[in-house]
Amino acid sequence: MNRLVFLFAFLLSLSVSGQEYQATNGKVVFLSKAPLSEFTGESKTLKGLIDLDKNLVDFFLDLNTLKTGITLRDKHMRENYLETEKYPFAEFTGKFETLPTLTSASEKVKVRGKFKIHGVEKEIVVEGVLKKLPNGSLDLKANWTVALDDYKIEIPKLVFYELAPEQQVSIEAILNPKK
Amino acid sequence: MKKLIIALAFLGMSQPIFAQLERKLENENLPVDLIFHAPRHINLLTVEPLEKKSMHFAIMHTFGTLDGGVENLWGLDNGANIQFSFEFGLSEKLSLGFARSSRDKFYNLYGRYHLLEQTQNDKIPLSVSVAGGMGAVSNPYRFLGPLERPDFSDRLAYSAQVMLARRFSPKISFQLSPMLSYFVNPLEIYQIEGDQNLYLALGMSGKIKVSERSSLTLQYIPNLNSDLRSNFGIGWDVEAGGHVFQMYFVTSQALNEQYLLAGGNGVPGEEFRLGFNVNRIFAMGQKKR
Repeated sequence: MNRLVFLFAFLLSLSVSGQEYQATNGKVVFLSKAPLSEFTGESKTLKGLIDLDKNLVDFFLDLNTLKTGITLRDKHMRENYLETEKYPFAEFTGKFETLPTLTSASEKVKVRGKFKIHGVEKEIVVEGVLKKLPNGSLDLKANWTVALDDYKIEIPKLVFYELAPEQQVSIEAILNPKK
Repeated sequence: MKKLIIALAFLGMSQPIFAQLERKLENENLPVDLIFHAPRHINLLTVEPLEKKSMHFAIMHTFGTLDGGVENLWGLDNGANIQFSFEFGLSEKLSLGFARSSRDKFYNLYGRYHLLEQTQNDKIPLSVSVAGGMGAVSNPYRFLGPLERPDFSDRLAYSAQVMLARRFSPKISFQLSPMLSYFVNPLEIYQIEGDQNLYLALGMSGKIKVSERSSLTLQYIPNLNSDLRSNFGIGWDVEAGGHVFQMYFVTSQALNEQYLLAGGNGVPGEEFRLGFNVNRIFAMGQKKR
């Protein structure tokens, strides 16, 4: 019995220890910049984890929460392009190339990892800016480009909005230390 | 010892190899998008809701019968029954609209209310909506003497229906619509075949998705309390440029619910006619970015 208590204590300590930071309502914006039409989509439900002990950077977004401002376009985006019923999430899991020092000054970071959307996984390197806020939380901003072709997302030819073949994605998240 | 093993097993389970975040949907009960392409499907209304502050515009045509051949360009020369309708989303659940069909110059006020929306996880297996309409024949009937012309109350006709729809798979959707229509006075001068006041029917709408943006569509409306022939339609829906185009062959020229039930039908093959609808949804006051 004692051993059991010890084990649970150990288990508990595992989740407390370490330098883990989590975000629950990060912001994601994508910009589709085609010659004749430009629009953005946005979600504020980005979930993220930065674990410096394990050097793990893990983010995901429920793609159903992306809104472009036109409901029919959202429906088409979900049904025809992202196919969110089959592939509901965009995911990124990777590592810092060099561990950040976490200062109050903005620090450039590079994360290499796997980005997965529409059921296709690709290795990418994302550059971002990280800084530690006075309250101990981390502030992360990053952006990169997603070529729809790389992820087998078809570009429609006959719709009332033009879709850019390359989408500029930016994220902004405040990650709080895990308690 | 046994407990220790159980505890160890727990430990193993609670520590996934990489300690990634668990992928969880924000909303587990997401509604199914686009059971049908538009709020209209051939001639029937569907459960497809309108967003608040959006407007659905539909213009619908049915032409003369195909049997005139090339001489009458398969019915296109015979004059079309045209209905246009504007429907406004007042909330996510309620929309109100008005329509006018050229047949008997019929004005119709109608509304739809959505009770349930089918969810992707099947917690709600069906979408359920109700619709009702109230319309009036506005033809002045100048060829009749002033006393023979129908009074306003004689010109009224009502409709009501329940719509039960399910997307069985991403490709196949079906809607069952028990319907009724009531003519206050089914006068002979009206372009209907029935002579009763009340008509009951079972509307059926089917959609089979053929490609990302087009579907084969079916409509069958057996009459339940009259000897009138049943309505049958088969067509093709295409989403293009923000419009939904619906082309079809159908046995009746009627375009509104009241006339669909009382208007009578030809025989498929003999009195088939070409019809087509154009649907467009306009966002009003929504943020455009």
